[in-house]
Amino acid sequence: MSVHDAIPMPEQRGGLSLRKRRLIIHASIFLGLIALWEICSRLGWLDPLFYPRPSSILHSFWLIYFQNANVWYHLYTTMVLVLAGFIGGSILGIGLGALVGFNAVIRRFLKPYVIVLEATPRIAVAPLLIAALGFGASSKIAIIVLVCFFAPFINTLSGVVNVNEERLELFRSLGASKMQTLRKLVLPDAVPVIMAGERLALTAALSGALVAEFIQRDKGIGSLILVYSRNLNMASAFACIFTLTILGFLIFRGMEWLDHRIAYWKNEAGMERVAAKRAAQMGDLNV
Amino acid sequence: MNVMASQPSKTDSVVGAQGLGKTFGGGAVVALEDASFDIRPGSFVSLVGPSGCGKSTLLRLIAGLIERTSGNLQVHGKEVTDPRTDVGMMFQKATLLDWRTAVENVLLPTEVSRAVTKEDQKNAAELLRMVGLKDFLFAFPSQLSGGMQQRVALARLLQTGADVLLLDEPFGALDEFTRERLNVELMRIVKEVQATTLFVTHNIAEAIFLADQVFVMTPRPGRIAKIVDVPFDRPRPLSIQTSPEFNTLVAEVRDILGEDH
Ligand SMILES: Nc1ncnc2c1ncn2[C@@H]1O[C@H](COP(=O)(O)OP(=O)(O)OP(=O)(O)O)[C@@H](O)[C@H]1O
Ligand SMILES: [Mg+2]
Repeated sequence: MSVHDAIPMPEQRGGLSLRKRRLIIHASIFLGLIALWEICSRLGWLDPLFYPRPSSILHSFWLIYFQNANVWYHLYTTMVLVLAGFIGGSILGIGLGALVGFNAVIRRFLKPYVIVLEATPRIAVAPLLIAALGFGASSKIAIIVLVCFFAPFINTLSGVVNVNEERLELFRSLGASKMQTLRKLVLPDAVPVIMAGERLALTAALSGALVAEFIQRDKGIGSLILVYSRNLNMASAFACIFTLTILGFLIFRGMEWLDHRIAYWKNEAGMERVAAKRAAQMGDLNV
Repeated sequence: MNVMASQPSKTDSVVGAQGLGKTFGGGAVVALEDASFDIRPGSFVSLVGPSGCGKSTLLRLIAGLIERTSGNLQVHGKEVTDPRTDVGMMFQKATLLDWRTAVENVLLPTEVSRAVTKEDQKNAAELLRMVGLKDFLFAFPSQLSGGMQQRVALARLLQTGADVLLLDEPFGALDEFTRERLNVELMRIVKEVQATTLFVTHNIAEAIFLADQVFVMTPRPGRIAKIVDVPFDRPRPLSIQTSPEFNTLVAEVRDILGEDH
């Protein structure tokens, strides 16, 4: 956790545990800031047009989620877009990364293009994609694929290339085939670093979706933010932005959970779970 | 020089070499030159010598991992061309797979050659018990100490079913106490499974303590300077290392190696 956890402190004081006391402090600071914002706005120190009051943001939440309930559709649209682009970008990135990783010749000749691609802000290509694919879901997804393809590609590539020499020698000494070496050594070995790439990709996919929706503002949470801002309905725009904050947090947590499941040997709980599973599968091993 | 080579008795030689050599870089580096020997079934051979004298090269040649550039080399009377199932190798690092439990790591050699059966699983578990890891069958490598990881690697080596075991400084990275304990266990285990063993080490006393024969090797070019016979029965107690006979052998080997050791 944090560095502070390493500092020994008396666990109990005044009947509350350290954890609970910290939680209370965090909550007080947060609520204090919100209150300060509200007060500043009410005293006229903040222009409520651009800096809506917390209370009006809260009201907007209620409006867009329940009274008008218009946010659901846009949220859904964006989510589908993000997921489609993320999956597409992942398959492309991991697939190409593995292909390039395994083939030294391809790797050598592809390298300059990878460097050029890495140096170019990929979002700059977005208008070109729209020109090529026209308005609609396909060009939006193409933009997302483009922005989230790179991290899985690079990570898979380096994961596959950086296989431990000694382990490779072990597999050779066992007479393992190329396919066995790939399935039993190279791929599992690359899993943690591929997962790290996937985390980056999902975050990028969300940003990519928003940009795509800013450009084609027909639907989606991005276009909703755009429309609210243009109408100077800042409270609702903020409600949308905070929705994305929560979404981003959930995505982050979800990926973390997935990472822990898939790269189980990198954490204690995962190892314990798999060890128990294996023990149950193998059953009695006494001779 | 080569006592064994002068009386080649093919029938009872597990590993045989005649004028075996290996160069790298198109002949620029002579890693091993003119090695000739015959290793008897079930015997324990130590390879000792300073860094760069070709110990690993010799082992990797026998394992079929690299191709010789001159001479001949047979295992069980058959010329060595590729890695084969009757030869197993263990390295200085445990090289375990992090995502596999100890048992699964031990089962790897079997998996590579065929479908794993219940019997194989039991055998793997039994080997782990044999190397003293009965409570760690389902532990992951990151949960094991360096010494325990090497024990798993040893069990994996035995799981191959190979009767020629090649060990390249297998306990070299471990502390003195652990290494000594594992050496004693290794001696017992290879006797039990009746394997022919080649063991690389930098340590003269360790080389003599473990072996029936010590190949004393010298560098530039790498060659077997002398084959020293060790007359004690195996397995032997650690205390033998304080006997005068033992120390005479140490002195002999040290003498061959000269200034290097
Ligand atoms: N793949 C290779 N390419 C080029 N030279 C090599 C290669 N492998 C070994 N050599 C050279 O061959 C010589 C013998 O190497 P080898 O690894 O057999 O020595 P060693 O006795 O095992 O040494 P150490 O005790 O340090 O492990 C060294 O000079 C080494 O640099
Ligand atoms: Mg070596």
